[in-house]
Amino acid sequence: MTMDRKIVIIGGGIAGMETAACLRDLGWTPVIVEQSSALGGHVAEWNCLFPDLAPAGKLVDSLRAKVEGIEIHLDTVIAAINYLRKGYSLVLSDGTKLQSDAVVFATGFSLFRAEKKEEYGYGIYDHVISNKDLELWFNTGSDERVPDNPKAVGFVHCVGSRDIKAGNTQCSKVCCITAIKQAIEFKEKFPKAEVYCFYMDLRLFGRKYEDFYIHAQKDMGIHFIRGRVSEVSETIDGRVFVKAEDTLSGKPLRVSLDLLVLMAGIVCNRDNDRLAQAVSLPLDEDGFFRSRDNVSQLTLSDKPGVFFAGTCTGPKTIPETLAEARSAALAVNEYLKTLK
Amino acid sequence: MRERFASGFDPFVIPFVLGMVFVLSYCLFGMIRILVQLPKADRRKFLLSLVTPKTLLKDIKDIFLNCLIHVKLWKRNPVLGYMHSSIAFGWFMIILLGHLEVMLFLPERIHLFYYPIFFNYFVAETETTLQGAVLFFLMDFFLLMILSGIVLAIIKRVRSRIVGMRRTTNPSFLDRVGLYSLWAIFPLRLLCESFTAHISGGSFLTLPMNWIFRQFLGNELNALPTWWAYSIALGVFMTVLPFTRYMHIPSEMLLIPLRNAGLHILHPRKGFARVQFYSCPGCGVCIDACPMSVRKENLKDCTVYLNRQLRRGNEKRIEEISDKCLMCGKCTAVCQVGVQGPELRLAQRTMRNYGVNPHYSDIDPERFRVEGGSAKVLYFAGCMTHLTPGIGKSVRSLLDKAGVPFKMMDPEGGLCCGRPMMMAGRKEQTRELIRLNTDIIRNSGCTTLLLSCPICYRIFKERYSLDGIRIVHHSVFFDELIKQGKLSVQHNDSLRLAYHDPCELGRGCGIYDEPRSAVSSVAELLEAGKNREESICCGGSLGSLSLNFEKRKDITLASLKNLCVEDPDGIVTACPLCQSTFSNYSDIPVQDIAQVLDNASS
Amino acid sequence: MDFGFSLSPSSAVNLDNTDMSLYERLCEREPGAKTCMACGSCSATCTVSAINGMSVRKVILGLQRGQFRDVEKMLSRCMLCGKCTMVCPRGINTRHLILELCRLYGSKEGEL
Repeated sequence: MTMDRKIVIIGGGIAGMETAACLRDLGWTPVIVEQSSALGGHVAEWNCLFPDLAPAGKLVDSLRAKVEGIEIHLDTVIAAINYLRKGYSLVLSDGTKLQSDAVVFATGFSLFRAEKKEEYGYGIYDHVISNKDLELWFNTGSDERVPDNPKAVGFVHCVGSRDIKAGNTQCSKVCCITAIKQAIEFKEKFPKAEVYCFYMDLRLFGRKYEDFYIHAQKDMGIHFIRGRVSEVSETIDGRVFVKAEDTLSGKPLRVSLDLLVLMAGIVCNRDNDRLAQAVSLPLDEDGFFRSRDNVSQLTLSDKPGVFFAGTCTGPKTIPETLAEARSAALAVNEYLKTLK
Repeated sequence: MRERFASGFDPFVIPFVLGMVFVLSYCLFGMIRILVQLPKADRRKFLLSLVTPKTLLKDIKDIFLNCLIHVKLWKRNPVLGYMHSSIAFGWFMIILLGHLEVMLFLPERIHLFYYPIFFNYFVAETETTLQGAVLFFLMDFFLLMILSGIVLAIIKRVRSRIVGMRRTTNPSFLDRVGLYSLWAIFPLRLLCESFTAHISGGSFLTLPMNWIFRQFLGNELNALPTWWAYSIALGVFMTVLPFTRYMHIPSEMLLIPLRNAGLHILHPRKGFARVQFYSCPGCGVCIDACPMSVRKENLKDCTVYLNRQLRRGNEKRIEEISDKCLMCGKCTAVCQVGVQGPELRLAQRTMRNYGVNPHYSDIDPERFRVEGGSAKVLYFAGCMTHLTPGIGKSVRSLLDKAGVPFKMMDPEGGLCCGRPMMMAGRKEQTRELIRLNTDIIRNSGCTTLLLSCPICYRIFKERYSLDGIRIVHHSVFFDELIKQGKLSVQHNDSLRLAYHDPCELGRGCGIYDEPRSAVSSVAELLEAGKNREESICCGGSLGSLSLNFEKRKDITLASLKNLCVEDPDGIVTACPLCQSTFSNYSDIPVQDIAQVLDNASS
Repeated sequence: MDFGFSLSPSSAVNLDNTDMSLYERLCEREPGAKTCMACGSCSATCTVSAINGMSVRKVILGLQRGQFRDVEKMLSRCMLCGKCTMVCPRGINTRHLILELCRLYGSKEGEL
């Protein structure tokens, strides 16, 4: 058995980095191909992580340290993949040719483009931002859409998630808890502001999530309104006017806000189509990659030597993504050992 | 010319005579019935139009051009145009020339109406005259013309693609009987005229054939059986005609004057509606045109099948077809006869019985009282525009830039215009909504009603009586402001935009040029593959009652594909519903005309 | 058991006695009715909801809870404008649902 087998990992987000680090620990030679100019993916753009408000930068830094010394191609995409008798031959956009015994898709997700839900007024009204914009504002403190002294702010859950009109019927899994996290952080910055969360269902399944919810209710005084926002308009003085139904009282609800934050959901990576076609892998109806099964073989594809890690197979939290990345590394390890 | 038989009769004419008597009395009876069914006012209108020289002349012209020459079909598809006009016009000419022959040579027999048809059997040529030669030449010429049409018809039946149709209808059993007898008539006529050509005379077609037949068949024995066959074919065709799609021939001749008299479909089955669905020739042009045809399951929901089901009285299917339609009006735009598919369906929708009948008597128009001082322009955004706030914002911004004072009719949502209710066939509710909105508009003191939504625009134009108030869609209004120099816009030479004609604005209200002119003032205007009268519905239409969201997707994708033939940078439309529908699936930006203008103005 | 207060039977939902036949007939004609997740978008966007409390969400729920008179009352102000159809995240054809329900109320099979 030779140990110099090479594995190409497509995507340098947290899933890609963790998989690469584990594979190197197992003695193989991973290569990371990342389309952007830095490792870290979406998480690198976030400020703090739920439920402990740990800084996202710390996690990304530790992962970057773990992949130090691994061959990494930044600003590069896959131009072509060919299946040969002995593994895969890949051509990168810069012309580099790579021979690999296995390929791991860690291509992640795309954030739903909030302007597609035009009725929420993203890009139209002055004080409507997305969850990502808010994280950026937490990081930099500069966004003219965020008012200096907000009296009321709203968080709209499920923007582009569970929505057939947006083309995504899946639940993005992380928005409920992210909204609570962001609401808490916002309230900490502006204790006098009223904070409203508009939700359809609160899906707080993870460890400590429910505690976080209770904290938001009890200590932070955040209001939870069960009703999906259907229409947003602008008042004469430039505030955001929100229409929802308070489904618990069964009455239409109207509220004027100084800022509206849209919790844009996790949707399939826009490049999935192209990548899937290159290796003739099936995509699910929702555009995510299809695992061999959804219980015990999440990291396996229908093709020998092709593996999945992270959110390319559906919305996941960070701990889930990291665990799956390690699991993918083990699956690759098992597979490579069977090769003669 | 002299007569061969003193009686002027032979038993073989009986099948034809019976068939002809039957079909003529059927049509006469049917016509009287339809006229009786018409509402009194409509009947008056119709009869009046027949004695008005202007409409009467138009009737004659339209019947000649449409029923005989098939001008519309020529424009659409010259092969099909030739096929139809060769048969219709050729046949008409043969009948006409037949009568001419009888009048010239045997005027005493003109009262026998079978005589012109079977003229060549009953006469013997005594001397060759120029008159006779010309007539015989013309007879042969038109017969040849018809035969060429029949050949095309046979090819079309076998392979419709050759004549440029992707899909065509499946004929019913009786349709087939009619079809085959029609095909048989003219070859048989050629045969029997050829067999008797040495007696009666003939021309370039019949004489040589007569000579050929004489070589190996002999003519005497074959002549009578062939004349019998010819008469039988005619008789069969005439007898089945009322029960086949060929009923469209007499129906269309009634449809044209009724339409020229300005009638509308009022009753779902009687009167004008009845003439319409019997006028459908079943050609199936509407199948390819219908935007729903992108899904195979919808193929049988096109207007041609609605007409068939209406003729058969299949209530279940009539309801299904009527409820599914997007009411985009494309079938009417392409229909050779001008059957009004959406209007027919709308009439069916009015038949429903409801246990809950909404009423708005307790809605106080005061609740929607318009504030905003003395501005003369009233802007009604409409329900759909409230869900596409970018459009409303751009309209308001453009009005400000042009210095047009305006007030909002529905700043926080208003009453519905009534068009969606109207399209569901609920007349009483529609009237009430119209009444309420009329009140609000009248009390606002405006002189211009500005609309963003073509759905609203259409009903305001067609059904509201707002004399003294100009009703205008924003695409027209802003185009005017640009032309008057009140709104200054910057042309972006590198921006290429494809314009989508919304059904309600284009086919519905005939507005095609102003939006194009407005777009051209800010960007390079591209046309869709099918545009203007033939533009393809976005799939979002409120016209369809039963099509659900998922089933509309393919329609939207097909319409997008049609818009992108010239590879535009973006799509621009003039309807909030189209914009929102396209945005769900489009890879390139979809904007309303107001947004595009707003971006390009200062 | 003594709660210290009495439960009024009319203010409780008793699914044992609820007649679901109208809801089931509606679902046959407009299967989308079954997919409502009660998000309230329809009611929030509805122009007449502020006037008479019209809410497609409540209509669908009311049918499953035996509140037929309330449902009828709500239906009686609908303008069929289609805003609810536009905003529904489950893509329910609410206009068809409303029209079919209005018909069922009048038909024999919808009789209660």
